Amino acid sequence: MKQTLFAAVASLALLAGTAAQAEEVTLKFWDNQQTESGLSDVQQEAVDRFMAENPDIKVEVTTIPYPEYQQRLLTAVQGGNAPDIATLDQIWVAAFAEAGAVSDLTDKAKESGLERSQFFGGAWDSAVYKDALYGVPFNVDVWQFSFYNKDLLDGAGIDPQSLASWEGLKAASEKLTGDGKFGVGLFGHRGEDTVVVVNSFIFSNGGEVLDAAGKCALNQPPAVEAMTYLQDLAQYAPEGILNANSGNMRELFLNGSLAVEFWPALEQPTLQKSDINWGFVNGTAPEGKQAIGTYGGWNLAVFESSEHKDAAWKFIEFMVREDVNGDVVDLIPANKAAAEKFLAENREGPQQIIEHLSLAKPRPLSARYLEVAEIQMTLFQDVFAGKEVQEAANAACSEIDALN
Amino acid sequence: MTSSDQRLVWAFLAPTLLLLGVFLYYPMIGTVIESFYDTSFISPEPRFVGWSVYEKVLSSRAFPEVVWNSIMWTLGVVLLQNLLGFFTAMLLNQGLPAQGMTRALVLLPFVLPGVVTAILWRFMYDPQLGLINSILIRLGVLQENAAWLASSDTAMAAVIFVAVWKGFPFSMLIYLAALQNVDKSQLEAATLDGAGPVRRLIDVTLPAIKDVILVNIVLTLILTFNYFDIVWVMTRGGPQNATHIFPTKIFETGFGQFRFGEAATYGVFSILVLAVLVAIYIIVQRSAAARRPVG
Repeated sequence: MKQTLFAAVASLALLAGTAAQAEEVTLKFWDNQQTESGLSDVQQEAVDRFMAENPDIKVEVTTIPYPEYQQRLLTAVQGGNAPDIATLDQIWVAAFAEAGAVSDLTDKAKESGLERSQFFGGAWDSAVYKDALYGVPFNVDVWQFSFYNKDLLDGAGIDPQSLASWEGLKAASEKLTGDGKFGVGLFGHRGEDTVVVVNSFIFSNGGEVLDAAGKCALNQPPAVEAMTYLQDLAQYAPEGILNANSGNMRELFLNGSLAVEFWPALEQPTLQKSDINWGFVNGTAPEGKQAIGTYGGWNLAVFESSEHKDAAWKFIEFMVREDVNGDVVDLIPANKAAAEKFLAENREGPQQIIEHLSLAKPRPLSARYLEVAEIQMTLFQDVFAGKEVQEAANAACSEIDALN
Repeated sequence: MTSSDQRLVWAFLAPTLLLLGVFLYYPMIGTVIESFYDTSFISPEPRFVGWSVYEKVLSSRAFPEVVWNSIMWTLGVVLLQNLLGFFTAMLLNQGLPAQGMTRALVLLPFVLPGVVTAILWRFMYDPQLGLINSILIRLGVLQENAAWLASSDTAMAAVIFVAVWKGFPFSMLIYLAALQNVDKSQLEAATLDGAGPVRRLIDVTLPAIKDVILVNIVLTLILTFNYFDIVWVMTRGGPQNATHIFPTKIFETGFGQFRFGEAATYGVFSILVLAVLVAIYIIVQRSAAARRPVG
């Protein structure tokens, strides 16, 4: 009651235009949750800490399940009800910036001494659009690590390290498929998880989605080779590839019928809780090449409609601080110092993860990314359905280049 | 009616008209207008582009697929749902034992929320873990796992099956009510004249409930054409657009890719189809009312 009264008085004061020092501002912060990690509880602890440090700022946290998040956020922006701060998927930043929905944070970051070197470089780059900074990296991960079932591999006499090469993965998959078991958890439903996995095979072969000039490179030899490889590899994946997602593969991996699944490091807590005897390698590349993953992660952005941009910035500074960042994420903290500590405490093979993170490439940082991704999904479904790869890639590229 | 009566009528109608206007006609007209503008999340300033969004949509690879799928989906579901609903109603109208309980059980699929139904059936259809494959393999119908929702050949049939499973109790309810209103004396007279069950069905029952059948079919046409949740949750319109129908395409274009102009264009085609169906519905209902004996 007292608080409501106080808020009422405070808002009256606001209306009167008297910017009193003691006035309390309320920040709305939206985040999404990808796992059942109890993220909202730990975030609430951190938020309480922030409010104790900043008694004049109150933060309301709303945690939205990942599958609904994009639509809820979009509707809120369109309807003029955007929060003050939200986590934005790396692939949304450019569109939100182009739409004028989020604020340019370049100067604020400079004043606060926040810079690229403190974060994973790819994550920082994903928040930059047309040379301005529209977000601060919050958490990161990389698609994909190849998690394997040690018992199945041992049973077939396969060296886990062989999974790191295209040739080795194919040979192992062939050996491991049969008797109700499957070698490799490829999936190809219409979803972003399909896009990031196929991208990583393309990247690892030296290919790109868009070239430096912004033109589609999916019909170039490195990409076509990678897709042709996956088309062939699909015969060792569980039936129903075109409607399967990473979650379906996890179910099969957890019940012991799948030898290799593709997931980010985010998968580790699930595996740690399971009975599966597991290990992982960093992605898969052709013999002699380095595996390159696809970046994923979230950036903190301030909405242009916010009336409390300074308070919002204070909150962002707090959330990415070395001693806080690791406590408020379920992926990997984007602050590198925080990440090292977080990985050492929470993940197997921290150095291996850092290596894969440092090499990873972002998806195209284009304001029209979501349209590019839809075309990619159609292409990858065509590939997994057995269409001639070069032909399908040419069709996709003419669609992508026709955007704008 | 006096003029004050008339004013009263308008006063009573006003709230309804206002609600209809705000929540139905305003968005509908807005959609038509929007379809002539190139508007997306990244360029929120509407830019008038005339018919060019229509040209883009009509020449796209997806449009003919969406049209064809919508036809297959709508006709498939309506036909099967009504046939199954009708024969179930006939069965439940026979005065069999435990009829009340059977009727309640048959209604179950209808009261399940669409999303729950879709998730449930996604599990059932799962190639490796699903109940359907495991039963079919045990019965020897299948040799190996089939990927019902992941093959362009079977996905549409698979989602139609689920929609029929969920929808037939609705048709059944309406048919059952109609069957119970069929004049018993006519049926008895027919029986005395030596008509068998098939004869009675064709010559007495069907003519008596003809109007209900027509209304039911047109109503399910409208509902089915507009269906969204089952298809979206089960396949997201995939694989390779094989189950993309108008509502899923509109949602994906608008909310998946933020392309509002194009979504509106699909919406306009959708409105046109629905307008025709609604017109048919009204005509059917009027002519049925006109034929109904007075008193």
